Amino acid sequence: MTSSSAASRKNLSKIACNRLQKELVEWQVNPPAGFKHKVTDNLQRWVIEVAGAPGTLYSNETYQLQVDFPENYPMEAPQVIFLHPAPLHPHIYSNGHICLDILYDSWSPAMTVSSICISILSMLSSSTVKQRPEDNDRYVKNCRNGRSPRRQGGGSMMTKYDN
Amino acid sequence: MKWDEISETCKENKKWHAVASWTWDAQDETCGICRMAFDGCCPDCKLPGDDCPLIWGACNHAFHLHCILKWVNSQTSQAHCPMCRREWQFKG
Repeated sequence: MTSSSAASRKNLSKIACNRLQKELVEWQVNPPAGFKHKVTDNLQRWVIEVAGAPGTLYSNETYQLQVDFPENYPMEAPQVIFLHPAPLHPHIYSNGHICLDILYDSWSPAMTVSSICISILSMLSSSTVKQRPEDNDRYVKNCRNGRSPRRQGGGSMMTKYDN
Repeated sequence: MKWDEISETCKENKKWHAVASWTWDAQDETCGICRMAFDGCCPDCKLPGDDCPLIWGACNHAFHLHCILKWVNSQTSQAHCPMCRREWQFKG
């Protein structure tokens, strides 16, 4: 174990550490279809490869998700972003930030990395057009934190992709 | 049998096997928050049983008391059941 990961692991609460170890084992036994966890010794940051589902706009494309877990996971959602280059999608900004309600207001501690992955793949698969969010340039320019966007009032982002 | 009688019996027998088993009457086998078995305890406890009880919501979903309290206390507005999203209320 490197010293950096040892330091970050210390940040996780006991319940977070315990649950992540269980999720990792569960993932190894039964990974969600289309996803590959890139093995590291860092329990607090997972990098996951996602393959676009066949028959969708993203088939034959692979992307990388970075999942950072807060100290008090699962009481708080993990931060999930696409690493560069992020897929072209009406709810994914060019800096990799994802607009998906379960990552914010609709998070529940019963959700897992697996269930998040499935939601993200479903979001990709249901897309009918490869384009950035309407407010992409403004958002990316003004974005100062490393976190994906919270629900923003009045924006175009929260139009439902599953309509 | 009083305790001192038992202890006398123990002295005589030199052996005393405690035989008992218990289980929580919960539908699922694991807590949806910590994912530990209900027959075990939450990650912050050492011993299952009365020190780490289960609690039921009005929606009939069960959790370790310590786990659901962490969730409820982490919410600034009304907390929802982690399983069904109904407003969380402790079963009366």
